[in-house]
Amino acid sequence: MTEKVLFVIFAVLAVAGGIAAVTRRNVVHGLLFLVFTFLNVAAIFFLTQAYFLAVVQIVVYAGAIMVLFVFVIMLLNLRTFEQEEQTHRRQRWLALALSVLVLAEFVIVLAGVTFTSARGGFTPEAIAEAGGGTKVFGEALFNNMLLPFEVASVVLLAAMVGAIILVKREKTAGGATRSWEPGEEPTPEAVEEEV
Amino acid sequence: MGATPADMPIPVDWYLYLSAALFIVGAAGMLIRRNLFILLFSLELMLNAVNINLVGFSRFHEDLVGQNFVIFVMAIAAAEAAVGLAIATALFRNRRTLMVDLFDRMRG
Repeated sequence: MTEKVLFVIFAVLAVAGGIAAVTRRNVVHGLLFLVFTFLNVAAIFFLTQAYFLAVVQIVVYAGAIMVLFVFVIMLLNLRTFEQEEQTHRRQRWLALALSVLVLAEFVIVLAGVTFTSARGGFTPEAIAEAGGGTKVFGEALFNNMLLPFEVASVVLLAAMVGAIILVKREKTAGGATRSWEPGEEPTPEAVEEEV
Repeated sequence: MGATPADMPIPVDWYLYLSAALFIVGAAGMLIRRNLFILLFSLELMLNAVNINLVGFSRFHEDLVGQNFVIFVMAIAAAEAAVGLAIATALFRNRRTLMVDLFDRMRG
């Protein structure tokens, strides 16, 4: 019973934080609401007894990824965008209506479906007996999913290299920086010069 | 209501409703907002909704594959955040804006 009450509280807070995150005009405020949502999701992982994932959710998501966002937002000066139009003028009401419709569809489908547990055997008692959630989790990960795990490391390496290449300052062959200022349209002559 | 293992305190349906709500919030944000950063936030929200589903079903089926899969979703989310932010930085440096409907150089 306690778990159900806590679940409802965290779920409502998570959804409210999510709604706040995508509606804020100020990007930093939206980011903080997003971190709030992630912390609530971590609490739900705790309630589900996925302790390792709850900690990873806090450390990696709310910690590392969101700090990366904060750094980039602070590097770019985004205050000027708060005065601009925040939504797509032509599609916002249609998009909102369609979203509500899809949510209603989800609810209708979920209300009519019944799931049967596969009884995989990893009950909380069995996990506690086998040496704790993190140990069992790690054994399952490295026994069944070793190859995907290694592939994920390659994906992360590719993303890292790609991110560095994307933000590297462009240089011409002679080592000079490019001949037009960022933000203004390059003149055809400048483009030709660079090529 | 789904058939729930006797020792699972929270019905698996509740995870699905929460996940659906978070996913729809993310999808709506993706469709409605113009700011590239808010679009990245929406993407993270949708990936997190999927994670909730995976963890809830992992507990329901008493199987750890779902939990293992969450690790991969998080790895992809981290990669996507790094590349997305790099693209945002490069776009901002070149065009001085982050409103996605203004990036129409290719007339798509």
